[in-house]
Amino acid sequence: MRTALLIARKDLRQRFRDRSALIYGILAPLGLAFIFSFVFNPIQNTTFEVEYVVVDEDAGPISVAFGQALGALEDNLGATVRQVDSVQKAEEQVETGSDAFAGEDEEQADAAFLLPAGLSDDVMSGQGGEMTVIGGAGSELGTQIAYSVAEGFAAELGAVEVAVKTAVSFETAPDPETVGLLTEQAAATKNPVTLEDISAATKQLSATTYMAAGMAVFFLFFTVSFGVSGLLEEKRIGTMHRLLAAPISRRSIVIGKALTSFALGIVSMTILVVATTILLDADWGDPLGVAMLVVAAVFSAMGILAIVAATAKTQDQAGNFQAIVSLVLAFLGGTFFSIAQVGGLITTLSLFTPHAWFLRGLGDLQGGEVSSVLPAVAALLAFGLVTGAIAWPFLLRAVDR
Amino acid sequence: MKVLTIAGTSVRRLTRDRSNIFFVFILPMLLILILGAAFGGSSDPRVGVVSSGSGALGEDLAGRISEVEGITVSDWEDKDSLVLAVERGQLEAGVVIPEGYDDTLRNSESVTIEFVSRPDPSAEALKNTVDSAATEQGALLRAAAFTVGQGTADFSEALETAEDVAVATKGLVIEQRTVGEPFAFEQLGRFELGAYSQLLLFVFLTSMTGSAALIQSRQLGVSERMLSTPTPVRTILAGEALGRLSVAMVQGLLIIFGTALMFGVDWGDPLGATATFLVFSLGASGVGMLMGATFKNDQQAGGIGVLVGIGFGALGGCMLPLSIMKIFSPTLYNVAHITPHAWGIEAFEELILYGGTIADITLELAVLAAFAAVVFALGAWRLRAALTK
Repeated sequence: MRTALLIARKDLRQRFRDRSALIYGILAPLGLAFIFSFVFNPIQNTTFEVEYVVVDEDAGPISVAFGQALGALEDNLGATVRQVDSVQKAEEQVETGSDAFAGEDEEQADAAFLLPAGLSDDVMSGQGGEMTVIGGAGSELGTQIAYSVAEGFAAELGAVEVAVKTAVSFETAPDPETVGLLTEQAAATKNPVTLEDISAATKQLSATTYMAAGMAVFFLFFTVSFGVSGLLEEKRIGTMHRLLAAPISRRSIVIGKALTSFALGIVSMTILVVATTILLDADWGDPLGVAMLVVAAVFSAMGILAIVAATAKTQDQAGNFQAIVSLVLAFLGGTFFSIAQVGGLITTLSLFTPHAWFLRGLGDLQGGEVSSVLPAVAALLAFGLVTGAIAWPFLLRAVDR
Repeated sequence: MKVLTIAGTSVRRLTRDRSNIFFVFILPMLLILILGAAFGGSSDPRVGVVSSGSGALGEDLAGRISEVEGITVSDWEDKDSLVLAVERGQLEAGVVIPEGYDDTLRNSESVTIEFVSRPDPSAEALKNTVDSAATEQGALLRAAAFTVGQGTADFSEALETAEDVAVATKGLVIEQRTVGEPFAFEQLGRFELGAYSQLLLFVFLTSMTGSAALIQSRQLGVSERMLSTPTPVRTILAGEALGRLSVAMVQGLLIIFGTALMFGVDWGDPLGATATFLVFSLGASGVGMLMGATFKNDQQAGGIGVLVGIGFGALGGCMLPLSIMKIFSPTLYNVAHITPHAWGIEAFEELILYGGTIADITLELAVLAAFAAVVFALGAWRLRAALTK
């Protein structure tokens, strides 16, 4: 064990001296996390705003009732509703609102509601009337809300009439008095179906944290590789023969390299967690949970890269394979963009990557207790154990070969 | 002639190592494919619905929700997995129609549907959408329950009549029309956006990491041996420059033709696309040369190369479209233009999105050419210094 520590210490000193570990372990991930948060933060911090205009030529009971429905929208959604006096103006503003590049100071709206003159009379007399929703082709969400609000309002408005007519159709001899009574009673009934909000917790990281964590785990696979592929370097420059000539067991050599990997991984991850928290305001979550995930992630990276190192013939080959494996796992694991967006097969495939489990663990930590990281930690450790166990005999043999 | 030999060696070194095929071609194609699958095409909010055990009326409501325009609706087995999917961002919202929905309503009792969402402003918008479907069904249920209350009919016949009555009743009809232009990106094909942004990202990235080859040449003393032959420094410089450029061209052409053939990507005006790609590659290989001359060991150059390559790509709009930057942060949009990527992307967007020709992108081409000239001059100067040191 002492020999293993000695080997690890020598490797670590060498890595710090040639600065490669510094670049891969700290500078590159930190730099990219910084750039990413600069690029993606403006979107993240933008609030959703909707603005509607109403052209009320009706000025009857229906337009009053619709005004109340829109009032609810203002309360719930923070929507802004304005009156304009002509259809033309309304159309112009919706058109401006549809153009994403229109200036902030121009009058604009996501959608317009047109209530034509005589609408209340027409609807109440049973002739039926028409309300028009003008949506902006570029304001999809705002238009969709406007349309659904109007549809909901129309359904609600027709509900009493439909109820009365349905009830009347079952009366054997409906007289005006009965109809009047039914109308009164029907108006007092309520929609039997209500929608209740159960807000889910967010098990998602903020954009900045996601980027920081993604870059950290992406580069972790490169940092850790410096340790395990050190075996191949020793062979390339001929120092392996000297090590073997000394009274050192092969096991100590392999353990020494593994310790180097472990130390590099833990140190770089710790620095990244602390640095992104301070510099970028990343919120990694409970330190204990993060620590467990980091240790488990380093293990999984060591195991996977050990397999690659054990099967490669030369250091160059190992470097290339490790980069390929790390990149594929990273993209599939969602370190650059959220893979949950993709859905289907790829989302399922992503669960075969340690990256996805690491990010998922951090996400679960945001929405729950420290113990919520345990499934992710277990998955990461399993990756490390299985791949490490496969790699071990190969590594021992690789020392001699 | 010697220039070509040196350049040819660069390309051969690239192709001889099989794993480079992965970095140069397979990885970018894979990304274009994944990005196209993830973000291309429809970007409607996704709503999950749990309706198992809710009976005929529950299925009817689920059907009404799935008919709502502008959302993508999927079926989910149980509430727990639905809530988890919303929490993890696989869905924007979820609706749980309770078990026994049908029975409860038929007993003229009221029912609560659960709406699951993250604390997110757009969730309220989705709730309105789902609510309109529930209100529509609710109007019929209300009529049926009311009639049942009169003791004149049972629920099923009352509901059936209510449906007929609702169709026949001339109430308030909602007309919908749209004005304005849809957001330009909506008109892009599924893979186009990914194709041109990844092309620029990867050609630049490969030039960065490829600078390691230049460092190896110097480390191994190949450069010094070349100098000992009757070969002027400028020939070696030109050869190395042409070599870097050839590598970029090989990769770029593979991606352009690969995406055109495999994903049907339309690159727009061929002349314009060729010119954009050529001047961009010149700039990229210039930066690669500069890096190869500046760094002492190839691992350092590799790490910095990844940082600069991906960082410039992100900043230049290869990960977040420039027009979205322009809407959300004009500052960011302006900063993006310090990278050649932003100019390249705008040239490709002019060609692909707006059907422009080479005449419409002269400004972009001029900026890219100027960038290439500057970095090439710098690169040649530093490399000459490094070689003759």
